[in-house]
Amino acid sequence: MKLNKLKIGFLLAIIITFSLSSCVAVKEYEKVYVNDADMKLTANKINKFETSFQVYREAASGANGGKAGGGCGCN
Amino acid sequence: MRNNNLTILVLFFVSLFFAQEKQTDSVFKKRVLEKTEVDFLMSYYTQDGDHAAVTGGIGTEKLTDITPTFIIAVPLNDDDVLTADIGISAYTSASSSNIDPFDGNQPGSPWIESSGASAADVWVNGSFDYSHSSDDRNTVWGANLSVASEYDYFSVGFGGHFAKLFNQKNTEVSLKANVYIDTWNPQYPAEFRTGFIPSAGYTTNYTQFDNLGRNTYSLSASVSQILTKKLQASLFLDVVQQDGLLSAPHQRVYFADKTDYFIDNFHIADDVERLPDTRFKLPIGMRMNYFINEYLTFRSYYRLYTDNWGITAHTTEIELPIKITRSFAVIPTYRYYTQTAADYFSNYNAHLSTQKFYTSDYDLSKFNSNQYGVGLRYTDVFTKLKIFKLGLKSIDLKYSSYTRSDGLKASIISGGMKFILD
Repeated sequence: MKLNKLKIGFLLAIIITFSLSSCVAVKEYEKVYVNDADMKLTANKINKFETSFQVYREAASGANGGKAGGGCGCN
Repeated sequence: MRNNNLTILVLFFVSLFFAQEKQTDSVFKKRVLEKTEVDFLMSYYTQDGDHAAVTGGIGTEKLTDITPTFIIAVPLNDDDVLTADIGISAYTSASSSNIDPFDGNQPGSPWIESSGASAADVWVNGSFDYSHSSDDRNTVWGANLSVASEYDYFSVGFGGHFAKLFNQKNTEVSLKANVYIDTWNPQYPAEFRTGFIPSAGYTTNYTQFDNLGRNTYSLSASVSQILTKKLQASLFLDVVQQDGLLSAPHQRVYFADKTDYFIDNFHIADDVERLPDTRFKLPIGMRMNYFINEYLTFRSYYRLYTDNWGITAHTTEIELPIKITRSFAVIPTYRYYTQTAADYFSNYNAHLSTQKFYTSDYDLSKFNSNQYGVGLRYTDVFTKLKIFKLGLKSIDLKYSSYTRSDGLKASIISGGMKFILD
């Protein structure tokens, strides 16, 4: 259950990255690339079935923008 | 240690609410969803392995599953969208059939599927979400409700979500809370049912579970950030608390310090799986996408998972969508997963009857897995092909092959068609 220093470092690196970049503003007319369908920050709908079987076959779940647990007799 | 990490993350999310520059977007108001969208999705899944949890960590894991699903998103007005996700999962399972291995026409064996009632089941699910966007489209809130049912399990879930966009829509912070109230209708192994005639001298630790409920409480937070004109990322944090019957009542356990009894080729169980009645899960995930050029995009995902059952897991996934033409794309994918074993896991016939908690479910064992896949996508921006009033927007097809280091192999074919209602 204890996170080691490497994992804490990973978390801090993410947080610092996001914090620094939150000052940057890409204008609406500059968002043609980030608005591309492949740039969505969610899993594609067709992947929902793969996520579902992984929830049954693996102990870990959640932190993917979807359901984090409950609703099935799975892990 | 866990509290320190949580404090850092909570402070981070809170600071984002207060640290952003004032919104300067125009007042132009566009419909959140222009037209009704209908997705028809389906998958066919197969697996096989040699470590079935129903038969205590040995035996066939052969399973097939087919899952037709509809997702319908309806714009109620300029600001509000109602989404319904309705699907079924119809499966046949060799290991589930061996909840009662003696109700078929052949001698009982963990390696042979029985033909009894538990060989197949249908899981039915319906979830509904309502969301409302503010006039400036910088605030979105909503609520959801879900119901799921199969023969031995019933679930009702509800929750709410809230999202705020800042910094000229470069930053999005969202919070989501959900509760699931689930109930088991336990199907105990045949040897624990009334009327079963055991072998002479057979004794068992088995008692029925008193509490058949399982509650899940989850709180999710996420931050999405445009980092450059071609790079964006999101960070996800879920805090999940479960309580109630977290064991699966049909999964057998055998003790090394008890005499083994057999009927036909089938080992009679000493007990069913016993797991703690609480579990705390803490998954943290990150997604980062980079637009390389008009033909190629790099999509990546990483998740660190830990819980208080002793499991730590890492998940890494990469997708490389390649646009062959304006309409066709090929999407190769790779996913690597590794986990440590739960504190309560041991192999077949290796537990001791003096233990408080025990399971031989290999889904809770130490393993790693590799998943390779390839997807095909056809997109018609102008929805030229019509079926009644539905215009075809896109077709997706994907195949993935999954191998686990304990020998489990699986494959899945998924397909989807998206329509726009004229």
